[in-house]
Amino acid sequence: MSHVNCPECAAEIVLEAGVEAGEIIVCPDCGVDLEIISLDPVEVNLAPIEEEDWGE
Amino acid sequence: MPDGSLPPTLAGLLERYSPTGEESLAVSWLVTHMHSLGYTRAEIDPAGNAVGMMGEGPRQIVLLGHIDTVPGEIPLRQQGDLLYARGAVDAKGPLAVLVESVARLGVIPGWQLVVIGAVGEEGDSVGARYVAGHYLPAFTIIGEPSRWDRVTLGYKGSATAEIVIRRPMLHTAAGAESACEVAIRVWEKIRGWAEEQNASRSRAFDQISPGLRGFSSGTDGFAEWANLHIGARLPLDLSPKNWYERLERLIELPPPVESSLQPRGFALPAFRGDKNNPLVKAFLAGIRGEGGQPGFVLKTGTSDLNLVAPAWECPALAYGPGDSSLDHTPHEHISLTEYRRSVEVLCRTLSRLTQPAQ
Repeated sequence: MSHVNCPECAAEIVLEAGVEAGEIIVCPDCGVDLEIISLDPVEVNLAPIEEEDWGE
Repeated sequence: MPDGSLPPTLAGLLERYSPTGEESLAVSWLVTHMHSLGYTRAEIDPAGNAVGMMGEGPRQIVLLGHIDTVPGEIPLRQQGDLLYARGAVDAKGPLAVLVESVARLGVIPGWQLVVIGAVGEEGDSVGARYVAGHYLPAFTIIGEPSRWDRVTLGYKGSATAEIVIRRPMLHTAAGAESACEVAIRVWEKIRGWAEEQNASRSRAFDQISPGLRGFSSGTDGFAEWANLHIGARLPLDLSPKNWYERLERLIELPPPVESSLQPRGFALPAFRGDKNNPLVKAFLAGIRGEGGQPGFVLKTGTSDLNLVAPAWECPALAYGPGDSSLDHTPHEHISLTEYRRSVEVLCRTLSRLTQPAQ
């Protein structure tokens, strides 16, 4: 079982078995979306921001 | 004049002005071009779409762009890194990225990559409505401008209606409310209802956005009437059917005034795809692989994604180079640097998506 710290609030997050790189998870403490960048070593970043745009 | 180093797919599409309903020359050219790029098959389908297939499957990815543009020809010209032409952003630039990326990857065993240049997207999406019933892909990528480093997860829905307010003629000195005055009051009621619903919705994507697109009135001497042409951009929790039902209630009027509503055009529900699927993950990795910081975008407009995603029920999103604030404007242009980056991102994404499971 892997652990990682939230880059926003430093909470310790336990990654569930079977998670994949690129997956978006939610920090259980601060609720921010996090993207799993890599699994070996475990690294998470703040997930891509959701912007709004008009068109098409 | 553009120089000779332009990407041939992009230049070929932009040189052939193809407003909705006049796509056939561009479609024929694209089919011939896809043959020359080594596509396994290329043809014009019964709806008039240009279709190129790379590989035989059995698993399928559909990359659906559109080849029609809004009217208003902008002759192709190059200014440094920028290429100006009608459709450069919406959406021949993104379509060319789909065509070029699949050509570069070639046949991938076990997969069929289908690139479609659909007709009629700027109208009633006749091309996409045809393809919706003819493919069953594992993944769908719509070619629309998101910017090279972002993916579009969703679009709002849209629905248009014609509302008629009719009442018996009265002498103007009678002091009664005219059909035109009632119609204005009805429009204010609709707008007020939407504002009330939107009070707790901060994002435009989540808001109900009605717009008064036209107003006309008339009389035959016995009755007078006023017509309201109302378009609406709809959030995920309001389907076109429910919007029309809501309008029916909002336009109820006491006699002798009568009201009626007719849906117009081809309504589409909003769509928003999941962030946690293999398609999104492959794009995030593809964008990072090109040195980008990926982003997600939700659009307040509508695209063919709204139409095919519910039919195909597979991971789906829209991607392509370009700034969509230039859509439909006289200044439409695309950056060649961004175009080339998008090809790199899509090649990385498709390679990752189609690689055998470890």
